[in-house]
Amino acid sequence: MIFQKEHYFGIFSIDTTLLQKVVSEALSSGGSWCDLFFENTSYGNLLLRDGAVTSGGFHVDFGAGVRVLSGEKTGYAYSESTSPADLLSCARAASAIASGATPVSPYGTPNPSRGTPNPNADRYPVLKGWESAPMDSYLPWLQELEAKVKALDPRMVKLIANLSFQSSDILMYNSAGELKWDSRPLGSISLMAVFSQNGLTENKSVSRSLRAGAEMLTPELSDSLAREVVKGIDQRFEARRPKGGQMSVVMGAGASGILLHEAMGHAFEADFNRKGTSIFAGKMGSRICPEGINIIDDGTIPGLRGSLNYDDEGIPGQKTYMVEDGILTSYLHDRISAAHYGVRPTGNGRRESFRYAPLPRMRCTYMESGNAKADDIISSVAKGIFVDEFSNGQVQIGEGDFTFFVKSGFLIENGRLTMPVKDINIIGNGPAALADIRAVANDLIIDQGAWTCGKEQSVPVSCGIPTVLIDKLTVGGE
Amino acid sequence: MEISKTEIGLARHCLDYALSNGAQKARVTLSKTLMNLIGILNGEVDKVSQSLDRSIQIQIFADGRFGSFSSNRLEKEGLESFILKAVSTVKMLEEDSFRDLPAVERLEKNAMNGNELGLLDTSLKEITPERRRDLSLASSLWSRKNALEKGFKLISEEGEYSDNFFDSLTLDSQGLYARHCETSFEIGFEITVEAPDGRHFSSYWWDAAPHFKDLQWEKCSEKALERAVAQIDPKEIEGGKYNVVVESECAGKLVTPLLSALGGYSLQQHNSFLEDSLGKQLFPEKLNIIDFPRTYGENGSRLFDSEGVATREMPIIQNGKVCTYFLNSYMAAKMGMPPTIEDATHVKLLPTGDCKDLSELIQKVRDGILICGFNGGNSNPATGNFSYGIEGFLFKDGKIVCPVREMLVTGSFLELWGNLIATADDARPCLLKLVPSLAFKDIDISA
Repeated sequence: MIFQKEHYFGIFSIDTTLLQKVVSEALSSGGSWCDLFFENTSYGNLLLRDGAVTSGGFHVDFGAGVRVLSGEKTGYAYSESTSPADLLSCARAASAIASGATPVSPYGTPNPSRGTPNPNADRYPVLKGWESAPMDSYLPWLQELEAKVKALDPRMVKLIANLSFQSSDILMYNSAGELKWDSRPLGSISLMAVFSQNGLTENKSVSRSLRAGAEMLTPELSDSLAREVVKGIDQRFEARRPKGGQMSVVMGAGASGILLHEAMGHAFEADFNRKGTSIFAGKMGSRICPEGINIIDDGTIPGLRGSLNYDDEGIPGQKTYMVEDGILTSYLHDRISAAHYGVRPTGNGRRESFRYAPLPRMRCTYMESGNAKADDIISSVAKGIFVDEFSNGQVQIGEGDFTFFVKSGFLIENGRLTMPVKDINIIGNGPAALADIRAVANDLIIDQGAWTCGKEQSVPVSCGIPTVLIDKLTVGGE
Repeated sequence: MEISKTEIGLARHCLDYALSNGAQKARVTLSKTLMNLIGILNGEVDKVSQSLDRSIQIQIFADGRFGSFSSNRLEKEGLESFILKAVSTVKMLEEDSFRDLPAVERLEKNAMNGNELGLLDTSLKEITPERRRDLSLASSLWSRKNALEKGFKLISEEGEYSDNFFDSLTLDSQGLYARHCETSFEIGFEITVEAPDGRHFSSYWWDAAPHFKDLQWEKCSEKALERAVAQIDPKEIEGGKYNVVVESECAGKLVTPLLSALGGYSLQQHNSFLEDSLGKQLFPEKLNIIDFPRTYGENGSRLFDSEGVATREMPIIQNGKVCTYFLNSYMAAKMGMPPTIEDATHVKLLPTGDCKDLSELIQKVRDGILICGFNGGNSNPATGNFSYGIEGFLFKDGKIVCPVREMLVTGSFLELWGNLIATADDARPCLLKLVPSLAFKDIDISA
């Protein structure tokens, strides 16, 4: 929901004159750029455990950050008060980075970022604000969710359902005179169920997270989550660890997008390339994977956890092709890296909160569909593994080595899914894995799980992928 | 910068206001953190940052119900309306007869000035911005780049120095007054080098201490460089069963899942591979893990947990036998067991006495893989099965042969610890878990 600017001025008790004064103070030591980031976020949560919603609360986080750039160097300070005195004090602290630098700004040139935020172009309109109803109005939905899981699988012995929601009012102003504002909702449900069978215990977690209001709590959503959390439990009790080693890996459509996020997305973030640490540094314009493959980072898909009207530097949300037809065509930029490379910012300057300076970060990272069929891909594999449920991943930027943890999947033997497998890590090297992509199916799914990227700061992201065959990765096992 | 008398008064007012507006019991925690940070990139100051955070957390017990609330807006009037809303929200929740404050006799009574454990370095106030900058720049090796580049190219050096002051005060409606103050000083460097074949290798090194004089800042960047260069020219090895030595820098990763599995929240949900383990001999006799939360002047020491309950020295695993679960008042009541402490904060895995350092441990094991870092992976809390990415070195006849990477270690924690051969005595004091280098036999490695 985007309001008029007076709404945001009121929340933070500021006006244009004060903003200009703070920026002026911040640049008094000679910095080349200054931006201000105001945030008022209210969080709420309800926890269902042991059959009752017995825990809940809300939390308020309020403040403003002042960033001063001197060349590519950053001075940053923040305050939990937006009083003129505190803002000016922050401005002086942040200005310490500069000492007589020429006040020329390479950061304020992008014309697309100018213009007043348009409520009609809002990517996350809210029909029912989270705080528009008392918290107990959400209890029945949680109780119904638990009942649905119980009805679907009586082996369920414990269930924790956590509903969390937040609303952030954001205002941004910079030394180019750009004023932007946004209101960002985020609703998340995570479900962790424990199942018991013949003295053995297994758990399963599922989640859903959207930039939406309380209208997302529909019967259809609880049906879907209940089905997901019991799906595959039989196989999980039967699953074993496979014999480890290098083998073909078929990434199931959807959450396998974590592969793109870890193996490629981070290495495409321009700060790592600007500093020369990324394995893809200096590879712009080079072929990095087979023809026909397109990899995208997109902030424009309505309602997704990773979507943004504006990034945290006031640049409009946009869709960025990182790889087109197998060629590396763009890094993911914030204002600093865009100025370094002489390109426009891509709207990837993001931060966890007003406490942090922005960095190039992903939004929703996915691969476009190809032409193959998922069944044909599986049939083509003599020996390998099919993976479809993940928990976390990690990458080493310099080396390009990435890992992701597979909660469940199947062995592939002679083109057929056979033994269920679980709890194995898979490791590979980003450039090698990209070059080893052998087939891409026509079944792209954007996963709607509560993915959070932890590069120095935590930000919500989304990911997706069609079914993809990678010739060889190293699979953990016996 | 410490919590002022006015702020203490505000915390008391919040407690009283909650109690006079519908809460039967309440707990209030006020915390304050001041941080200064200097970032270094390639021998120059790249980032300066300063911050002061304050927040108040209010836990409300009303009509048999419970809720937890927090805000960083500390104006009195605003907090009063915040508390009224909090109390009415709590009353919307379902009843929970297990929620209560801890018994009074279990509460800490001697945390009055917050520095009883000697974790506060008052010299922090004398560290000027210039001193921070000079120290950070002096830690950098970038100015010696050309002299250092022998068989590799130095691509980047990123460093960060920070100092923090933390102060917290917890009050409750049965008279708890518990203060904890500490300072921390941290420095870390990450170095990326390029090998002659164009491949990049990165590594890091860091140190932290509650007192500035103990911070080992001089050699951080050199150590990071040494570790990055050592990784050049890795070799592929066959998967199979190997002896494994895990360096103390990362060995705590193998202890954390044991502590989590002994936590009330996992046990109560039947989501722990150590359920029903209390008093059982599940680990080898040589394994001793103890919590020493009251060690004077050491990282992680605490007089009380988040409920205000007094900590005490506590064996967690003694001679291989499980000695405790971590049960706060709530989980203990739900499980029908006596409460202990919320969690361990200053854990030590006691050395077995076999070896002094990593070098001796490798000599003892003779052949195997030295793990110097974990790259992703996870474990299943219900089954105790794990799979982690690893990086490190192959060693033979007690000597390092070559770096290895893109490998995975897979197994179950009970089997892993059952295969413990020996430990060194080289735990890093900057870590919250003091775990020395560890040696295991017959571990599954995929490569």
